[in-house]
Amino acid sequence: MTFSKIFNASLIYSTFRTATPIIYAALCAAITQQADILNIGTEGIMLFGAFMAVAVSYLTGSWALGVLVAMLGGLCIAMVMAVSHLKFRSDICAIGMGVNMFAVAITKFLLNAWLKQSGTFADPKIIAIPKVHIKAFEKMGFLNDTFNDWTITEWFVILLVIILWFVFYKTVWGLRIRAVGRMAQAAQTAGINVNSMKYQAIAISGLVGGLAGAHLSLGYSAMFVENMTNARGFMGVAAMYFGGAHPIFTALGCLFFGFTDSIGARLQAYGVPSQLVLLMPYVATILVLAISMATKKAMENKRKSSLITAA
Amino acid sequence: MEGIKKTFGSVQAVKNGEFNLKKGEIHSLIGENGAGKSTMMKLLYGMYPFDGGTVTIEGKKYDHISPKTAIEAGIGMVHQEFMLVKELTVLENIILGFEPKKGLTIDFAAARKTVQKYIDQYNMDIQLDKKIAQISVGEAQRVEIIKILTRGANIIILDEPTAVLTPQESRRLFEILNNLREDGKSIVFISHKLNEIMEISDRVSVMRQGTYMGTVNKADTNENELARMMIGRDVFLNIEKKKSDIGETVLQVEDLWTSGEKEISKIRGLSFDVKAGEIVGVAGIDGNGQSELIEAITGLRKVEKGKVILDGKDITNLSVKKIREAGLTHIPEDRNTRGLNRQFSIGDNLIEVTLDKEPFSKNGFLKKDAVKKFAEELIEKFDIRPARAELPTSYLSGGNAQKVVVAREVTLGGKLLVASQPTRGVDIGAIESIRSILQDVKEKGLGVLLVSAELEEIMSLSDRIIVMHNGKITGRLNAEDADEEQLGMLMMSGKEEGGEA
Amino acid sequence: MNEKQKAALNILLSMALALGAGAVVVALQGESPVEAYTALVRGAFNGKLKLGTTLAGVTPLLLTSLAFIVAAKAGAFHCGIEGCVFLGGIVAAYIGINWTFLPGPLQIVACFLGAMLVASLWSMIPGVLRIYFNVSEVCCTILMNSVALYITNYLVSGVMSAGTSLPQSADVAVRLTQFMKPSSANTGLFIAIIVTVFIMILVYRTSFGFKLRQIGTNPANAEYAGTDPKKMFISAMMLAGSIGGIAGAIEVLGVHGFFLNNFASGLGTNGMLAALICKNNMFVAPLISFFIAVLKSGAMGMQQATSVPKSLVDTITAVFIIFACMNLIGDIKKKRDITEGRN
Repeated sequence: MTFSKIFNASLIYSTFRTATPIIYAALCAAITQQADILNIGTEGIMLFGAFMAVAVSYLTGSWALGVLVAMLGGLCIAMVMAVSHLKFRSDICAIGMGVNMFAVAITKFLLNAWLKQSGTFADPKIIAIPKVHIKAFEKMGFLNDTFNDWTITEWFVILLVIILWFVFYKTVWGLRIRAVGRMAQAAQTAGINVNSMKYQAIAISGLVGGLAGAHLSLGYSAMFVENMTNARGFMGVAAMYFGGAHPIFTALGCLFFGFTDSIGARLQAYGVPSQLVLLMPYVATILVLAISMATKKAMENKRKSSLITAA
Repeated sequence: MEGIKKTFGSVQAVKNGEFNLKKGEIHSLIGENGAGKSTMMKLLYGMYPFDGGTVTIEGKKYDHISPKTAIEAGIGMVHQEFMLVKELTVLENIILGFEPKKGLTIDFAAARKTVQKYIDQYNMDIQLDKKIAQISVGEAQRVEIIKILTRGANIIILDEPTAVLTPQESRRLFEILNNLREDGKSIVFISHKLNEIMEISDRVSVMRQGTYMGTVNKADTNENELARMMIGRDVFLNIEKKKSDIGETVLQVEDLWTSGEKEISKIRGLSFDVKAGEIVGVAGIDGNGQSELIEAITGLRKVEKGKVILDGKDITNLSVKKIREAGLTHIPEDRNTRGLNRQFSIGDNLIEVTLDKEPFSKNGFLKKDAVKKFAEELIEKFDIRPARAELPTSYLSGGNAQKVVVAREVTLGGKLLVASQPTRGVDIGAIESIRSILQDVKEKGLGVLLVSAELEEIMSLSDRIIVMHNGKITGRLNAEDADEEQLGMLMMSGKEEGGEA
Repeated sequence: MNEKQKAALNILLSMALALGAGAVVVALQGESPVEAYTALVRGAFNGKLKLGTTLAGVTPLLLTSLAFIVAAKAGAFHCGIEGCVFLGGIVAAYIGINWTFLPGPLQIVACFLGAMLVASLWSMIPGVLRIYFNVSEVCCTILMNSVALYITNYLVSGVMSAGTSLPQSADVAVRLTQFMKPSSANTGLFIAIIVTVFIMILVYRTSFGFKLRQIGTNPANAEYAGTDPKKMFISAMMLAGSIGGIAGAIEVLGVHGFFLNNFASGLGTNGMLAALICKNNMFVAPLISFFIAVLKSGAMGMQQATSVPKSLVDTITAVFIIFACMNLIGDIKKKRDITEGRN
């Protein structure tokens, strides 16, 4: 049966696998969103991170160093945004698109000028993020298919979702950042330095965005391709909207995109043209976003209606 | 505080501010809108840096204050707009910035205990686990006071705290303030309502146009003297009410239902009418559905049930454009977001409603000369300053900006003028002229629907008064029969007309 | 210093900083910055071919920056112009190949109208989603660019394929005249200029334009004054889309003569860049578009004359935009008061 070939146990892993880079990106966007900053620059932060990870891994042979430098690279790009937006009052969308373009250009330039490559850069000297192999699972068919040989960063993303949920809703910093995002004046009058909180949010977002890139180039694959993020950063932003910047709901949104992507990849084997398969996750993202926002709006209207008494 | 100076852009908000507060007193700071009293206190609280002068708190000199240092020095402020995050709970709002910790997490149990202690001490009625969006204005104000107390404030600044309260709620607040004074707290009470000031203060300081005018003991002064210090001349806002001929019904609202931002501001089954040549005043505490009512009538909010009839024509859920063509004019409550486009010029704002008509445009093309000529006429007639048609309205003061709105709407003529908070946040001069314009409009035979949170404004202008509470009408009175006490009762109200609970 | 001078100075300073940063990078590569930039300018202007290439490069940027600005005037951040260029291009190609029953000039007009229609409908989608469901148009338009790219890719690899190894369509039957052969500069440049002037008049001299700016600066006030913000917003998005469609048609009919897969890559982005640099000033945007076109077309010359890769130019323009977004000039010292009075 064709059906069972498309929907089988390995679909779970492939969904998760394709979703992971987007989850990282969405978390990157969610952190600043809590402070009411729309992180359009997620894409650029991620792309720069992806490049730095590959370049450092290639030059030093250490994936860990690659990941670290990628995070620092993401931090740098994020700080450009932060200074520009918070100090020089640039429009956040404009500067976000600015750093995205910068990331595309600079990675291409560095690839040309520094690594003397162009287009795609794959090399055996690029050390990928190792996979976690659990021997005990080997004999257990389903567990082995589904959970064995995940890369470290794939496991880590689950942890990160939980950490961020905890930070946002259980800690002092989280309470403060949410207050800053929803009513900066209230936070200011409570003696909180609003600007400093926003800097912190963007900085942390940069670190996560860099990690997103590192996972994409060293975990999800082991190479760098020009503009390899391919709008994943924006899908992350879309998922962030879907989840209302709540880490868990946001991650669920990403899993859905991953799911359509994986289904698409399987359909290709049955003669569906590749372009249509490739556009599926984008269309799915837009649809999901539209449906979720429409539902939110309908609920809001219902809440406000005089014909219904709210609880 | 001595020799305080503060400039915003080209406006000098405080020129020579002075204020001193003794321990255990209630000290009122009065002045008309724009006199700089709120600014003075915001400077003290460190909301913006001051440009000159010195501040001394309990013997210690400060040349720079941030909210943090202010809080540490024992200052707390209840702002006119509450500094509460709507999406967070009452408890979260109270502890914000001073969260007790347990390991990595916030210790909500400890926080609850501390806060409850203050609630009990002052016998306040607060629900800690509700979100701010779900509680009433009066309760939110108590939350603000508790918040300040838990931060250990000894000096409490209240910026126009009674503006959002009924007379009865205000009295309740005064009781709390008296208790606080007995506990040795010092209180700064900002207001422009003289009767309240005479009731609550020990001493009164007056500001006029950014300058400190002097301090008097309450015992040594009276309302008239304070008014003169505030304004510099005698003012009689209670313009003589003129009777004009009451004509046909111009506005009829029948069993109106419409959505609301909050549960208590949803309009559920409301009926009334406005006749030509009369002013109908709508009294009520802010947020009891007045804004929603106005939006529903003027086409800015969907009517869910019922009818709105303007001059015999059913205008329910028509487009704003069609409603305006039917003869409705509208001074909205918020001139910054509704009434004006602050980035457009005075001239463009004056013609934005009649844009598609000649002579302002022809075949879709704008006629700049006609716009300019028209604008200059209106600027002169309504005394809008600075008198430059091409100046963006962002350069105008509150009073002059409001005059642009009034000029545009009144010049349209029409059948009905809906005026919502027409004198909010404008100076005394502009209040006088706007109120007399409303009288003129009525004499010309238009119906006027006036919504105002200022009871005094409602009482001095209206022929009939409607009182709203919880999105319903709780009272209908003739202006002659109304007194403040009775209106206050209806505003809080207990009782809805017609018996229903 | 008034606002206009400040804005102009801000752009010039940003440009200087970006070119300066570029010069430093060139120097680090062990090349002479002066030589590299001279080669760049020579690459853009020296000779009919180079000048023509620059002019052909300006054409789409004029239109895409204009399209972005039109949407921005109505308050939208329209990242989806590139998708409109793609779709405009494919429609123009389809009509240009198949509607040969029309006389030549009419067929060209049909190409343009078709391109405008489809692109404006495409651009209507994010407008509707934003207005009725509150979906961020930034996200939506960016994702839709990818969709547009894959749709056209699918068409020219399949039903519209010329059967060549590269995915591209057959040749169109009608062309815009190329006036600086062998370069691809074509009469589309004049179409772009006419469209630009037309839009300037539309936005600043008509009541439609008044309403467009009205909803872009204060939709609540517009609604109150009787302008329907929903209708205007969607109209503005459609207008922006149709301008993008024109750009696509010009590229296909004027430059290539057929639909080349992925031909519009970067055209929308660079137009947006020009618009962002001048903070959506319609009158300055053409100058910025020209500057970017010069950088782009001169880049090849620079790469050939020196060892500096042409991708440096993209980096310079990106740095340019990052600086231009900031308010470098003026009241930096004045601290922003979050609570500054709004009355």
